[in-house]
Amino acid sequence: MPNTTLTLTKSSIKMFIRNKQSLFFTLFLPVMIMAIFGLIGFDRAQKMDIGLVVGNPSKSTQQFIDNIKQVTAFDINTGDLETEKQALKDDKRAIVMQIPDNLIPDPSSKNPPSKQVITVYKNISQEQQAQAAISIISQFLDKTTLTITKAPALFELKTETINSKNVRYIDFLLPGIIAMAVMQMAVFSVAFVFADYKEKGILKRLLATPLKPFQFVTANVITRLMVAIAQTAILIIMGILIYKTHVYGSYPLVLLISILGGIMFLGLGFIISGIAKTVESVPALANLLVFPMMFLSGIFFPINSMPGWLQSIVQYFPLTHFAHALREVMANGAGFSLIAKDVYWMLGWSIVLIVLANFTFGFEEKRV
Amino acid sequence: MNEIIRVKDLTKKYGEFTAVDGISFEVKNGETFGILGPNGAGKTTTLEMIEGLKSITDGEAILDDKNVKEKAREVKAVIGVQLQASSFFDGLNLKELLDTFASIYGRKVDEMALLKSVNLDDKWKSKVKELSGGQKQRLSIAVGLVNDPKVLFLDEPTTGLDPQARRNMWDLITQIKIQGKTIVITTHYMEEAEVLCDRVAIMDQAKIMVLDTPFNLLRNSGVASTITFRVDNKCPEVHFEKLPGVEKVTNEDHGYRMISNNPEVTLPALFNHETECNFKIFDLQLRQATLEDVFLKLTGRKLRE
Repeated sequence: MPNTTLTLTKSSIKMFIRNKQSLFFTLFLPVMIMAIFGLIGFDRAQKMDIGLVVGNPSKSTQQFIDNIKQVTAFDINTGDLETEKQALKDDKRAIVMQIPDNLIPDPSSKNPPSKQVITVYKNISQEQQAQAAISIISQFLDKTTLTITKAPALFELKTETINSKNVRYIDFLLPGIIAMAVMQMAVFSVAFVFADYKEKGILKRLLATPLKPFQFVTANVITRLMVAIAQTAILIIMGILIYKTHVYGSYPLVLLISILGGIMFLGLGFIISGIAKTVESVPALANLLVFPMMFLSGIFFPINSMPGWLQSIVQYFPLTHFAHALREVMANGAGFSLIAKDVYWMLGWSIVLIVLANFTFGFEEKRV
Repeated sequence: MNEIIRVKDLTKKYGEFTAVDGISFEVKNGETFGILGPNGAGKTTTLEMIEGLKSITDGEAILDDKNVKEKAREVKAVIGVQLQASSFFDGLNLKELLDTFASIYGRKVDEMALLKSVNLDDKWKSKVKELSGGQKQRLSIAVGLVNDPKVLFLDEPTTGLDPQARRNMWDLITQIKIQGKTIVITTHYMEEAEVLCDRVAIMDQAKIMVLDTPFNLLRNSGVASTITFRVDNKCPEVHFEKLPGVEKVTNEDHGYRMISNNPEVTLPALFNHETECNFKIFDLQLRQATLEDVFLKLTGRKLRE
């Protein structure tokens, strides 16, 4: 009766769409997370805050100051020494420089230039920015020295720009969010719904009909794989429209990975619904597994920023491979051969989880 | 094929515990068969073994010439089931629900006609969780009828319902009965069995104690009826003791209480004696034995304690 599975699938889709809770977890939550992290924009270049204390600069010195102000990485404030030092203490400046009025000698002046001192106050808590700022200023000073002493330039740095895929944080994030969304949907929608069916005796009622449990499970799996495809599509479209992300690899490959990820985590969902005695115990059980994965599988930050011992554990997580495969294809344009390892890991996990699900999950109440 | 269900030495054991202990009975085509007994007697387990929901430890159950052990799916295709506490999908309305269940049997049904037959046609847009207890039970029966089953199993269909809803349920079951369907019903309400069932098996502690029509059960149980009355002129008790069928007479307050094992004979004799002995009877009451009394006599316990 292929008709039966089809009708059951239709009913199951209706029930999924009408369930507000599952819609929230499936679509609304990932979209929210992406919107929030997209707004934060971790990869926007942070400017260096520099305080300048200038008295009454000579013409050439003013020229020098104007040049510094052109540097895009600098956010320059000018003020008297007291206010600027206070600002530094309040962590609002990386460095504060006190610039002598006659820092740069007037080119028309015949006097030999004397050594000038710039006092730099450094903010220890912004060590990196301070160092970077100081080295940029030093370069300016070196260049000026060369110009004034009229020494020939012995070296030149010739830079050529080559167009690269500028992987921004949002490009890194989007594939991870898709993997996370599919995982949440697969685990929670199955675990909750089937624990509920079991608790209410709906599975038992179905067992009193000639229906094969396999047909019912198939209808529910098909429904959720369709949802996984919809989630992937919606999040990608949102990324493209709002965050101008690009998918460099092939779309069919992206969808295939999502489906495989869906199958893998549906297995986990069925395991949990089999173990859970009541609907109330589902969130605890599911979050025990889902939460660590969510934060440790390279969804929000790269795995290689973790300590080595942790990396050696999380590299085996199913979500790690799912997110990595998606990211390689979407952000780096990888083909199948480059993500084959991830795909094999996902296949392996799928088999393990489905076999385990067969042990824990059944239509019949397991009587002790 | 007059017997649609044949159960022989049916046994269910959970480890050391025996839930159903080698029971045998047959159900005729078109009959309404009741299994009566207290909680924990093994009624539900018996039903669920016949329905193919629980494995059979020993013995066999044949339904529509199909052995349940070997052809459970074929049996399930021709039966309709109402479980003791079954619930249905919350996300579907009643019409969609019946359609979904019909598809399981590879059928199409006229959902509205079916809903009308259980008096829920104006509720077709509702979700299950919006129904009352009685409405849920009626829906459960509609779902059980979706495949036009040969046998309808009802497991305590009126437990937990208020008297009005119970009456409605009885009417509904009678309707289905009139259509000629075989019904197997469990209950711990004696009155329900007396009203609905053609034959009743009384179960207690995993065994069938007796099996007969409600009428015969009452008649043959030896449980007597009670006749109470008052008189204007006193008459010696020995007179009443001599009346046919009378087992015992006691003088209470201003009247008499006679225990009779055959009130149809006792009462005319009593009226004859009224004229002979010149007294007048008033406040005459006859309380017939019920299946409740039969159960009490068989087991020495009350049905619901």
